[in-house]
Amino acid sequence: MNFSIDFAQPWVLLLLPLALLPLLHRRRDALQFSSLNWLPADRPGRVIGILWRFSAMLAILATVLALAGPGRPETQVMRSGRGAEILLLMDRSRSMDLRMLPPDWRTLDPVIMTQQAWSRGPQKSQVARQLLAKFVAQRTDDRFALMFFSAAPMLVVPFTQHDEIVQAGITAGGVGRGLSETDVGAALLAAIGAFDQRAYSGSRIILLVSDGGAQLDAETRQRIQAGLLRNRIGLYWLYLRSINSPNLEAADASEAIPEIALHRFFQRLPTPYRAYQADEPEDLAKAVAEVGRQQNFPLDYAERIPRFDFSRYCLAVAAFACLMLLLYQAKQLRSWS
Amino acid sequence: MADTQEFHYRLPRRVGGQRPGSHPGSSLGAGQEFVSHMRLYDRPDPRRLDLRASLRNPGGDWLVRTHRQRAGIVVHAVIDVSASMSFGGERSKIHVAADFVEALGVSAFRLGDALGMSAFDAVERTDLFFPAMLNRGIGSVMAAALRSCASDANGVAGLELALEHLAGKQGLIFLVSDFHWPLVHLGEALDLLSHAYVVPVIVWDPAEMEPPAANGFANLRDAESGRQRTLWLRPKLRQEWREAVAARRAEIESLLAARAIRPFYAHGCFDGEAMSRYFFEATA
Repeated sequence: MNFSIDFAQPWVLLLLPLALLPLLHRRRDALQFSSLNWLPADRPGRVIGILWRFSAMLAILATVLALAGPGRPETQVMRSGRGAEILLLMDRSRSMDLRMLPPDWRTLDPVIMTQQAWSRGPQKSQVARQLLAKFVAQRTDDRFALMFFSAAPMLVVPFTQHDEIVQAGITAGGVGRGLSETDVGAALLAAIGAFDQRAYSGSRIILLVSDGGAQLDAETRQRIQAGLLRNRIGLYWLYLRSINSPNLEAADASEAIPEIALHRFFQRLPTPYRAYQADEPEDLAKAVAEVGRQQNFPLDYAERIPRFDFSRYCLAVAAFACLMLLLYQAKQLRSWS
Repeated sequence: MADTQEFHYRLPRRVGGQRPGSHPGSSLGAGQEFVSHMRLYDRPDPRRLDLRASLRNPGGDWLVRTHRQRAGIVVHAVIDVSASMSFGGERSKIHVAADFVEALGVSAFRLGDALGMSAFDAVERTDLFFPAMLNRGIGSVMAAALRSCASDANGVAGLELALEHLAGKQGLIFLVSDFHWPLVHLGEALDLLSHAYVVPVIVWDPAEMEPPAANGFANLRDAESGRQRTLWLRPKLRQEWREAVAARRAEIESLLAARAIRPFYAHGCFDGEAMSRYFFEATA
């Protein structure tokens, strides 16, 4: 780390000679006296006299410095850690506000199961957010990015190792209700794009958390495939299955079902792909744990340290000096009578 | 000033001089003070012929009474107009000095003495020089000149120059100053004036003598040198201040006492009564 200092407005430093003003002994500042030799020597008084001039100079100096805006320039620091670059791509559509299957759904009567599933199970997005939060908290070495999508993707947190920001982003995902549209293709392309322009420093994962699929057109498929290949990204799909959702593992399922179609397309990709089908909250937890086990490689990356502004300290010094001056002025003798 | 603080003064010693006045003189002439008898041939003044003494005189000469004549003198005021004299809490010291000169003008005219004035700061102030003259209103003119004079000159170098044309002359000299200068100069000045009767009028302002009552800080500027200094006014400093004033007073008085001179103090204003008392005490 270097300690160089730059100024936001260097031309303001031209005002620095103003700090010499208090050294000019102006007549107006002082009370005239016939002969100073007449007065007793007063060492504390002399010190105070020097101090108030010094305070005045300091006040001007610090103010000018603060106006010039000193700061430590923006730097990049190379950090290395273990783990992966994981982009959490989370479905924010309205279907995610629905509930998951209750834990005892296998024992329920199929007649009432639909009713039960709508009313009893935990909300899908809530469970997903809790698990993701835990996942992020456990994997301190990884770098995370967070992207929500429904009708359009929205990058909430760019890649960072500061977990609290990611956690805050995950928490923010719970505000309000989701939208009705779900555009998985655009979301995947945006997620792939987030890895563009980044030096490859370790394994890369897109963790797609969604409860539904979509039929992608050929061109989108082409671009997704090329993007995943170009950026060398592994794709993990946490499929939150609720009642009436298709089973991804069913061999006889038709590709007309969007989820199945998406799954099949992912399976045909040359890049690593793994789907975790979660029916219940426990399944989801297992799936998350498995992703955690899979990706543990060393990772080098550059972290950007933003410019640090010192002007507030300068202003604090100036304020302190002004306070000293005010105290001195308050106790200053104004006239002889 | 509305009423002039007129005062009475009398030289406590004899002076020479042929001009009649009101001070004890050393020359013979018309006066109340009998000296001796002289022969009419030596002093041809038949008005003062002393018949009784002539009859008693075994020599048979006519004897004439001789008397000492009271003399008029030259009074001179030497005023310090350096920058420190312009200081003052309510009235500046130069104004106090002007009040004194005005009172002196009236008093000197009453006694029939000629009055002159010279002033000094770093140089002799020739613009404030008045040769000795007998003139009723000269005191007011001098006072007006003093009140309107501006000086920010520093030092006392003009003192000796101002005294040069008074050196070796008899008379009464008032040396009006605040004596905020090295007292070596005072000694030299008094040496020059050894023939005259010198009255040092020490003009001090109450603000100089008594420190301000309030605690706090005072940023002070020397009137002469322009140097600035900060004082922390507190009881200890007030004590030291008063001690410094007392020490300075003792220093001046001891120097003057060595020449048998007593100073006259004017603190913030000129008091004619006090000046009269000063001379009564001196002549008693």
